[in-house]
Amino acid sequence: MTRLQTLEGFYQNHIQPYYQNAHNAERDGKPIAYVASTFPVEILQAMDITPIWPENYASVCAARQVSVRLAEIAERRGYSRDLCSYARTTIGSILTTEKDILPEGGMPKPTFLVASTAACDTHLKWFQVLSHHLKRPLYLLDSPYNITGADAENLEPHYIQQYMSQLEELITFLEKQTNTKLDKNRLRKIIELSDRTSNLWLEIQDYRRTIPAPMGARDAFSAVFFMLCIPATQTAVNFYEKLRDEVKERAKNGIGKIQNERYRLIWDNLPMWFNLKFFNYLNNLGAVTVAETFSHVWTGSLDPSKPLESLAKKYLPNFANCSVERRINLILNLAKDFHANGIILPTNWGCRMMSIGETIVKEVLYEKLGVPSLILNVDSSDWRNYNEAQVKNQIETFIETLNA
Amino acid sequence: MQILQSFKNLLHRKHIIAKTWKNQNKRPVVGWNSTYTPEEIISAINALPIRILGSMDTTTTLADAYLPRNACSFARSTFDHALKGDYNYLDGFVTSNSCDNFGKTYDLWRHYTQIPYFHFINTPHTNTPKSSEFLYYELIRFKESLEKHFKTTITNKTLQTAIKTYNENRTFLKQVYNLRRKDPPLLSGVEALEIVLSSMLTTKQAHNKLLKQLLSEVTTRPDPPKPGVRLLITGSIMDTPDLLNITETVGGIAVTDDLCTGTRYFWNLVEANKDPLEAIAKRYINKIPSPFMHDSHRERFNHIKQLIKDYDVEAVIIFLLKFCDTHMFDAPLLTEELKAEGIPVLNIEYEHTRSGIAPIKTRIEAFIEMVKGVP
Ligand code: SF4
Ligand code: SF4
Repeated sequence: MTRLQTLEGFYQNHIQPYYQNAHNAERDGKPIAYVASTFPVEILQAMDITPIWPENYASVCAARQVSVRLAEIAERRGYSRDLCSYARTTIGSILTTEKDILPEGGMPKPTFLVASTAACDTHLKWFQVLSHHLKRPLYLLDSPYNITGADAENLEPHYIQQYMSQLEELITFLEKQTNTKLDKNRLRKIIELSDRTSNLWLEIQDYRRTIPAPMGARDAFSAVFFMLCIPATQTAVNFYEKLRDEVKERAKNGIGKIQNERYRLIWDNLPMWFNLKFFNYLNNLGAVTVAETFSHVWTGSLDPSKPLESLAKKYLPNFANCSVERRINLILNLAKDFHANGIILPTNWGCRMMSIGETIVKEVLYEKLGVPSLILNVDSSDWRNYNEAQVKNQIETFIETLNA
Repeated sequence: MQILQSFKNLLHRKHIIAKTWKNQNKRPVVGWNSTYTPEEIISAINALPIRILGSMDTTTTLADAYLPRNACSFARSTFDHALKGDYNYLDGFVTSNSCDNFGKTYDLWRHYTQIPYFHFINTPHTNTPKSSEFLYYELIRFKESLEKHFKTTITNKTLQTAIKTYNENRTFLKQVYNLRRKDPPLLSGVEALEIVLSSMLTTKQAHNKLLKQLLSEVTTRPDPPKPGVRLLITGSIMDTPDLLNITETVGGIAVTDDLCTGTRYFWNLVEANKDPLEAIAKRYINKIPSPFMHDSHRERFNHIKQLIKDYDVEAVIIFLLKFCDTHMFDAPLLTEELKAEGIPVLNIEYEHTRSGIAPIKTRIEAFIEMVKGVP
């Protein structure tokens, strides 16, 4: 089992400096925004606003094994244990008085918060709670639900228009908050950069079609950080170029994540951030994850000559914002293109968006491709909702059926 | 009182009544589940819009095969009824973008039931002129979709008539609620809930008749409810009277509510407007918000505080259905704010099943005792 060299020391080399920079921005009085996934972060980047993603911070807390301790603080304040563990973890991180338990010194205090309705009810309510406790304003981008699950080319024109009008409203909000004007030229450059990052990331993904696959889920879930959090940066481009070269080289030389690849899996949604070693366990069973939906949904090509329209087209088809058809098509295509023979569909205790509808995905995938799926009851950051013995049992039984 | 029995009947015999209506009128029955569904438009095609309700007393084994354990059990219960075939008579199903559980179980309804017509209304989450405009467009789309599927036309006139009947119903319901300001209230919480729920299960014309009769008879009712600790009830959907039944047998009396099956359903009228669809869009954007709306807590909490004053409320119970995210996120703040004003609050999380509500009784009883003890 070989880890990609480009990813050695990823946390120290990339995550820590990211939080350090954000703390510096706070110290220097520069604008910082809390932002929720599926939000068009490019606009923030074009205005030199440092984005902080509570979701990313929660996953850091989970990986560092403090998420449950923080979640319990939120629970003692009345936030139900059934709520999204990302939300509980970060609400706890803000309410706690024991600041020394917080990885990377906690999230710096934001100047304002932004979220969209694209992914889940949680985003809007969670950010409302954060905004209340931090006494900072929240802008909500009202994204229409993509009812038919249309892709970028087939979106309803009216939804694109609505999204664009929301972007304009957002820009007005940001200009007021930061006392600056959005520079249209800079926005075009940012869009170009984000597009470049996205293409590089997809290129990296494509090499995973190779048998044996040169990269697994553990590396992907780390490396996706740039794509997700700071896509429009030169750092992201540089990092992905290096990663692309390494993955390409491996693919060419037939070096796989594991040499004896017996099962090629697709992993839907989130991993258990507190237990990324789980993927090593899968590797030991001869299984490698060749694609994650999480590595594909944040991508999308952007056209610098139409910045706002292309942002609408990038974010409206995100499967979190769509009916189940979109998720089915995505997984179906991944399964075909990446030669998968099994699909893992993890639920997430506090997440309706990810958990409901998996049975349809499972049925359709089996009907259309004969590829079986396994639904796993887990949680992204709260290990109290994770029963390792049971999960391993399910995995091993599932793997046996793949043999048959 | 005899008339109260009529409302109860509508609730308990809802399927039979809807089917009979359909046979007699030869017109479609359309189910809906979110308070953000503009029923007026459905009613304008002479269809019967009915709210999809669950029940506490059946197991949900059919739905359990499709839904994970962490889905809202109200959504589970209704979907289970659909799988059992209880809703086979529906000619259509309409939902709105007002809750992840609705949005995602809508996919299941589409895949696993045989209902011939489905429609999703893309309800915005913000209250701005832009979002009203967007909803207006969505309502045009909805109108056209109904016209096409049910081969009919909706005119401004039919819409205006529907609006008038709906507004009348809302006004009557408010009058009914006013009867609960008295001490003891003229209607119990259970009775009031049955009245509101039944309004969603028959035509508004028929319901208006019943309400008129109720309003004329109730002031002299020989059997008024017993006095008790005056409660405001809020939280997730309350689609059966079970919880209020429990509450009202242990010394509480629900005198008002902030529920999507209560005030949030009927509080706001559609205003007069040349363009009825525009007026409807404005009504749904501006109504007392459900918690999925952006920044809705301010307005909703103010609504609650106003009701507390107007209805002489002594204490508040927040009934939270497990996995009802939007309400669960609002509950701690609401609790804090009300307690700061000296109002006792009880938070109860429960599952939408008979066994899920059994353990609640002692907690409510203890709470009521506690409130009574406060001088
Ligand atoms: S895990 Fe689910 S509920 Fe939580 S923020 Fe993500 S999409 Fe929303
Ligand atoms: S009870 Fe709550 S979670 Fe369930 S359908 Fe209603 S709003 Fe959604």
